[in-house]
Amino acid sequence: MASPPLPESCDAVLLSEERIRERVTELGAALTRDYEGQELRLVTVLRGGLIFLADLARATDVPLQLDFMAVSPYAPGRGGVVRVTKDLDDDITDAAVVLVEDVIDTGLTVNYVLSLLRARRPRSLEVCALLDKDVRRIADVPIAHRGFRIPDRFVVGYGLDLKGRYRNLPYVATLREDALEVR
Amino acid sequence: MSPSPSDTGHPADETSSGAVDGIDFAHPSERVAAEILDFYRVRWEYEPTTFPIEWDSNGNVIASFSPDFYLPDFDVYIELTTMSQKLVTKKNRKVRRLKELYPDVNIRIFYQKDFRRLLQRFGLAVEEQPQRVGGGVVIAKDEDQGE
Repeated sequence: MASPPLPESCDAVLLSEERIRERVTELGAALTRDYEGQELRLVTVLRGGLIFLADLARATDVPLQLDFMAVSPYAPGRGGVVRVTKDLDDDITDAAVVLVEDVIDTGLTVNYVLSLLRARRPRSLEVCALLDKDVRRIADVPIAHRGFRIPDRFVVGYGLDLKGRYRNLPYVATLREDALEVR
Repeated sequence: MSPSPSDTGHPADETSSGAVDGIDFAHPSERVAAEILDFYRVRWEYEPTTFPIEWDSNGNVIASFSPDFYLPDFDVYIELTTMSQKLVTKKNRKVRRLKELYPDVNIRIFYQKDFRRLLQRFGLAVEEQPQRVGGGVVIAKDEDQGE
């Protein structure tokens, strides 16, 4: 099946469907090797990591369970701190956990989620990120498994969105600068 | 030559919101940045350190640079440069000089486009500020929330 055409708001395909598929297969093989003989928990933060998680899980050949978290988005002028709006369903104490992320940019969200997960005392905790955009990294997040280092562009597709759109694109595309609305 | 702490530093309370209150931020985008750091429970200090970067022949400091934020947990300084890109040359020169003089200091610059992308990743629209109030971008006032 041919990939859908590039939306008008995008200027290029950064990572094709095929390239992503190949890399996800490699990442799954790496997890299979690293976690041989163990049962694995793949955890992602909704919603961006969902599609990567689904493909990565199917590329990983060890017994595994999936679990999901969601955190509240930043809301300007309302004060407050990030809240868990959907917690994990299962206890991860003494489990081998891999946090599966779509993209790590500043690292602030991942850093916070890792602190939450660490507090539950898993046996091991690693990060597997499809995209690593490290040019503006603030929190130094240890990434055990990385799909691609990407340039300093706003990307959509393969789970990543702009205002909820484009998550279903099978590839990762760069957004045109003028599509980033400035009034 | 060592940098000096200024008297404007305000370490944030790690566990409470509202640390931004009472701080006279130089630009609205700095307040938003502080709120985002509070949101993620990242401790910060506002302009806590002034780095001398230029001296006259008598050794008097004639130019210095105070990055906007210091994040002690990550040992990194953050400089927000939300004015239009063509006006940032002077700031870039200062940051470059700081890196030359203080190679062990970690500093990240967030340009207007970086800040805009960060806000838009949160699902927030932004609007341009007139130059008379400092320029740059801020969150659009009537923006509804997305994820």
